Amino acid sequence: MIRGEFDIGLHVLDHQLLDKNGRRCGNVDDLAIEGGPGETPEVVALLVGPGYWGERAGWIGRLAGWIGGGAKVRVEWSEVAEIDSAVELKEEAPKLGLGRGDDRFRHYLERIPGAGK
Amino acid sequence: MNKLLGLSLGILAAIGGFVDIGDLVFNTAAGATFGYQLMWVIPVGVVGIIVYTEMCGRVAAVSGKAVFDAVRERVGFKAALGALVSSEVVNLMTLAAELGGVAIALQLLSGLPYRWLILLSAIGFAVVIWVTSFNWIERIFGYGGLCMLVFAVAAVKLGPDWAKVGNGFIPHISQNNPLLYAYFVVGLLGAAMTPYEVYFYSSGGIEEEWSPKDIGLNRANAIVGYGLGGTLSLALMVVGATVFLGHGISPEHLGTIALGAGDPLGKVGLLLGIIGIFFAVGGASIDTVFSGAYNLAQFCGWEWGRYRHPKGAPRFTITWLVLLVLAMGIVMTGVDAVVLTEYAVIFSVVALPLTYIPILLVANDKAYMGRYGNGRFANVVGFIYLMIIMAVALTAIPLMILTNAGQN
Amino acid sequence: MRTFSSFQGRKVVTQSGEVLGRCADLRGELTGAKLRVTGLCVGRKAWLAHLGVRMHHQHAIVPWGAIVRIEGKRIIVRDDAADTADPAA
Repeated sequence: MIRGEFDIGLHVLDHQLLDKNGRRCGNVDDLAIEGGPGETPEVVALLVGPGYWGERAGWIGRLAGWIGGGAKVRVEWSEVAEIDSAVELKEEAPKLGLGRGDDRFRHYLERIPGAGK
Repeated sequence: MNKLLGLSLGILAAIGGFVDIGDLVFNTAAGATFGYQLMWVIPVGVVGIIVYTEMCGRVAAVSGKAVFDAVRERVGFKAALGALVSSEVVNLMTLAAELGGVAIALQLLSGLPYRWLILLSAIGFAVVIWVTSFNWIERIFGYGGLCMLVFAVAAVKLGPDWAKVGNGFIPHISQNNPLLYAYFVVGLLGAAMTPYEVYFYSSGGIEEEWSPKDIGLNRANAIVGYGLGGTLSLALMVVGATVFLGHGISPEHLGTIALGAGDPLGKVGLLLGIIGIFFAVGGASIDTVFSGAYNLAQFCGWEWGRYRHPKGAPRFTITWLVLLVLAMGIVMTGVDAVVLTEYAVIFSVVALPLTYIPILLVANDKAYMGRYGNGRFANVVGFIYLMIIMAVALTAIPLMILTNAGQN
Repeated sequence: MRTFSSFQGRKVVTQSGEVLGRCADLRGELTGAKLRVTGLCVGRKAWLAHLGVRMHHQHAIVPWGAIVRIEGKRIIVRDDAADTADPAA
């Protein structure tokens, strides 16, 4: 578990998100920061989804993000339960708008026998 | 018995990864071209893959991170995206080559038309992966691949000149064709340390829900699995040197390689050889198709793993299904599986540093690894191999061009 | 709102024009439920630290308070911030 002072990019950015049931529901693609020079800035939200890849890697990121569907989800920092080797959340993924891609495709796979085994 | 079954991940990763179609091709061809002169490269590759496999398995057991999680966290988004794209391309090429290899092995056994067997293999794999648990997939293909041991028996039975074999373990530069020799060194190292082996192995550790108490099991898996894989590679090279070099045959077809076991051991040897190749190449198909799906899912943060069941990891499941279909399409065009293999091995070498550097970095991170972080031995050896990997990555493509992919 | 990626890779320059290097990472402090940004990790050693190569935190951290303004692709900091920054970078 990580506490105190640390490098944000190393320990939060690009890390796996786990919801309260341990479900993998995205990576931390970017972070929202509020507060400018002269203030005390704070990380206020996790930005999740291929829609944020453009800012990370220019046109290549935008292209990859477009192929990935371009979804953007903002998860408030107050939803973070703990920072370990993954970023653990307090809620279930669907309540935060996460893991929607997996949930959508689940309906199709469920029709094939043996999908739950 | 349980202990033995616990080693199946290492054996599958090694039989399906170390002794996949790339090694079958490069080891036998190396033997057929240079005799025993390249024997020394195999232990070099084996030690490298053992060190890094042990490291990535330990990282998986302690921090729950698979290789591509580490890649994305460590090398930055842009480089990770590059690593993802190149690894997916190479994985798909390798998968197509392995699938072609499976169809060739089936053709040798049944005599049915090649293209029908490609379709049959792809559907067969989809059904096997869908209905079989990860543990049983490992056991079927890992232990089935042990039929490959027939090549070790064949190597001994052929009665090679052991003094010459021993001499091959001493590195030296070939006088008559140094470029081709260097191309084979790079190819053999590349085939031994193919990135998908560590992708598959680390994710496999998480599939088996390893925890820190399994790091002994992890070490045993890495050493036994790749030790066995290395032994088989040596055997293939000896067979290649004894059977093919003597007769001026170059093994351009998988069936020819199986003949290497048939020559000294007769029909039973030939049959076991083909069955061994079927399971080894089949295991490699499973390794590569899973690796492709693991990497994409880990890069995007999706739920992944056979242990989550198809329903629990929908996009992961769809990814491996799509990869199987694409690979099937590639081999259906009639492209030669052996040629495809050579290209896949050489291109995968270029992606090696971006795979192995993050493993070394995370294995040293005390924040996640605590007292299970790398010791001095792992770091020194890991660093030496990183240098070797860099050298190999930089020279692979130029050597491929200069030697016309080993044709001259 | 700013994003992490809007800091990463930007040039950090003092008011008198001295280039301290590029911003590799942000330093943060987790207190209670809040994650405060306390400074910028700047320079070559900071890049190594960002990769996870431990440098015993010798890399330069420019405290947030030293930032004067953020303009275009550059972050302008007070001249005295140069003392804490890595001179080799």
